[in-house]
Amino acid sequence: MELANTLSQDGESRGGVLAHLERLETQVSRSRKKMEEPQSAQAEESALGTRIHELRRLRDKLRAEVKQHQASVKASTTNVEPDQTLEITEQESLKRKRENVKAILQAYRFTGISGKLTSRGVCVCISTAFEGNLLDSYFVDLVMRKPLQIHHHSIPVFIPLEEISAKYLQTNIQHFLFTLCEYLNAYSGRKYQADRLQSDFEAFLAGPLQRNSLCNLLSFTYKAEPEGQFFPFCARLLYKDLTTTLPTDVTVTYQGTDALSTTQEEQRAAHEDLFFTKPLHQVFTSFARKGDKLDMSLVS
Amino acid sequence: MDSQLVEARALEAEITALRRACVEPPAPGEDTSRVRKSFREIYQADSEGWELSKDLRSHLGHLESELQFLSTLTGISIRHYSKKTEDLTSTEMTEKSIKKVLQRHRLSGNCHMITFQLEFQLLEIQNEESLSSVITDLSIIMEPTEYSELSEFVSRAEERRDLFMFFRSLHFFVEWCEYRKRTFKRFKEKYPEAVHLSEGASSSCMGIRNPSRPGFELVIVWRIQIDEEGKVLPKLDLLTKVPLQALELDKNGVIETAPLSFRTLLGVLGIEATLESLIKSLHTEASN
Repeated sequence: MELANTLSQDGESRGGVLAHLERLETQVSRSRKKMEEPQSAQAEESALGTRIHELRRLRDKLRAEVKQHQASVKASTTNVEPDQTLEITEQESLKRKRENVKAILQAYRFTGISGKLTSRGVCVCISTAFEGNLLDSYFVDLVMRKPLQIHHHSIPVFIPLEEISAKYLQTNIQHFLFTLCEYLNAYSGRKYQADRLQSDFEAFLAGPLQRNSLCNLLSFTYKAEPEGQFFPFCARLLYKDLTTTLPTDVTVTYQGTDALSTTQEEQRAAHEDLFFTKPLHQVFTSFARKGDKLDMSLVS
Repeated sequence: MDSQLVEARALEAEITALRRACVEPPAPGEDTSRVRKSFREIYQADSEGWELSKDLRSHLGHLESELQFLSTLTGISIRHYSKKTEDLTSTEMTEKSIKKVLQRHRLSGNCHMITFQLEFQLLEIQNEESLSSVITDLSIIMEPTEYSELSEFVSRAEERRDLFMFFRSLHFFVEWCEYRKRTFKRFKEKYPEAVHLSEGASSSCMGIRNPSRPGFELVIVWRIQIDEEGKVLPKLDLLTKVPLQALELDKNGVIETAPLSFRTLLGVLGIEATLESLIKSLHTEASN
């Protein structure tokens, strides 16, 4: 996709992310080095010591400036006695700020993508949901190096992770993550529909639901009415597009040995239509509702 | 060793605070507490309070870095977040060890030029075997509202209570908008006389003219649409503005079939190459 190629010219986001993590990495490796090599640590220490010395100098200079600045305002301040309680409120406000930042970090999971910094990079957590139901989360542990690497992950093997990372990981991390998000959410959604069909509408199926691990090929024999022992229809659903939760191919066939009547043909065609446009379990919910008796346990 | 790093960090934070204090114009009355606070910040380093606040400060600094990093990683910046929890567990439920909690979340921030404000409710039901979390209500406010393609998308997301789809599609939409902007800008810079952007860089239309042949214009309309499933797709169309006389001379009906040929060309060359070839074709016409 040409989008990836042209965006490589503007690797701003990647540059920002990489630069930031490189800084953190240097910090961590520096402190690690100090523990492992005491000799080079001496050199590091003196460099840091010089910096602290300079910072102290700058701070003292600024203190003097601020004092001068404050002196001109002295007239307007009525009470400049140091207040003990103010020291505590300073800490309180810092604590509050910290809690606030922590909360925002937690809130990132509601965007679908959140992460935690690790010693080698970042562990990204991708959340999935379908129809408002929060479902499984998956993680990808990235190592910030050139080139970017996936250290380990919990992505199911049938999701084309390698394909997606080959296309986008090195040039556009955001695109990589959101594309992965797309695939995972779609898979989660298809799985949710299949699970709901199996658990909530067992009575409507003759035998178990046939499905593959990617949940993009489903086949089952069913009836559209709660009563009766005859399961007249057989459906086959194929989801060619792995980023969608609705099928791309639907075939409903009539199972009966007798000839297909017009009403049955109408039903068959209507069902095909339904499977194309509504989530699987919702189709069966509407089947259940059509009957005179409304089984409340099926309406969730 | 570590303490030196921590001290350096604390000094940096103090210097930032001092710089702020220098710049702040002192206003009478109200701002005395602010002035005193700055004093506090200065003395903080030397009093015992420094021991505790230095840990707090460095921890806060680290958390803020992490936040900045997440914002860069996802392209989404969350600025405000609040949450209210309501326990809906009845005594009956407690007996069966079922817990029911309703959370109200409020989130606001931006993704590049688009700001959003969300409010949603999350219902959590915990029983012995599992925890179920369901978003039971979602309301979204977005700005700017000039992107008309977005309002339909927003209502769909609200209806479906699909929070993740909202952010995903928002990201891809913004990505496409930025790409369109960059592409138009590049062509405008490369062919300043031929290319005309009626609404500036963020416009969805690009006009191609030849200054020596007034009356002829090709207009490329580049819309970015979000479909039912939240997929973001570019949709390009070609409009031709041609004087009547030229139409009469056009025996082969080239102009009539131009929009269709444009679509075919897009499929073969991709967006940028197609646009460039169109600009070049109108340009070379002038020399004939």
